[in-house]
Amino acid sequence: MARILAVDDSPSMRQLVKLALSSGGHQVDVATDGVEALQVAERQQFDVVITDVNMPNMDGISLVRELRRRKNYRFVPLLMLTTESTAERKQQGKEAGATGWLVKPFDPDRLLSIVTKVLT
Amino acid sequence: MAIAAADTRCRCETLGVSAEAAAILLAFAMRESETPAVELGSALERLGRELRPAVGAPGPEALTRELAACVRALQFHDRLMQQLAVIRNLLTRLADHPLPQMAGFGAQRWEELLSALRERLATGSHDELFELLVRTGGVGVAGGAGGEQAEGSSELF
Repeated sequence: MARILAVDDSPSMRQLVKLALSSGGHQVDVATDGVEALQVAERQQFDVVITDVNMPNMDGISLVRELRRRKNYRFVPLLMLTTESTAERKQQGKEAGATGWLVKPFDPDRLLSIVTKVLT
Repeated sequence: MAIAAADTRCRCETLGVSAEAAAILLAFAMRESETPAVELGSALERLGRELRPAVGAPGPEALTRELAACVRALQFHDRLMQQLAVIRNLLTRLADHPLPQMAGFGAQRWEELLSALRERLATGSHDELFELLVRTGGVGVAGGAGGEQAEGSSELF
């Protein structure tokens, strides 16, 4: 079982990610944007962070950049889960330090298998 | 001449007011649909818990498949909200900064209006959505703007 932080400004998306991952036995915490995610991630250590890209206050790419600056998140898998799929945005995510780029809508089983893969 | 100028100003004011009204109506509609979507998400969460006899244990296969279909389908509500938010923001900007040089919606002015609107788009995805709406008058059956072939795809770096 892994501790996962799901970050999305959409309440229903947070619920769906939580539902998909908790069915695999993972413990899922949620945050509504990059600022809140940073606060939560400082209070406790997560094994994986899954974040949306477009969010108010702090977007997902900035969040990834900020997390990578912290020693305890340097090697933690950080996945982007977004509707955006342009090569330019993916490149920005990659440069910020993201581990992978998943395009919504996600399939629950597929999301679970990707999380399993990045955890091993 | 003076009458024509006054008419132009009047049309621009009408356009601004219409854009503002449309933005407000959209915002209300979006807010109204958020609670039912969250309720549906919560119901799915509860169903998911009921389906699993123990944490991490597999639930009944057919029902788990149905639940996965619900999870996929509900994400389109989120996508719709994002697209509506883009349109709402566009309308708000239009209302905040009316286009004084636009006398109306005649064919001659249409390209100028589109070009002015394009300049106000914030990101590539907004641009893609706008182009899609302008080109087809609506979002296609498959949904999505430009990147629809990548839907559900994943890439590990």
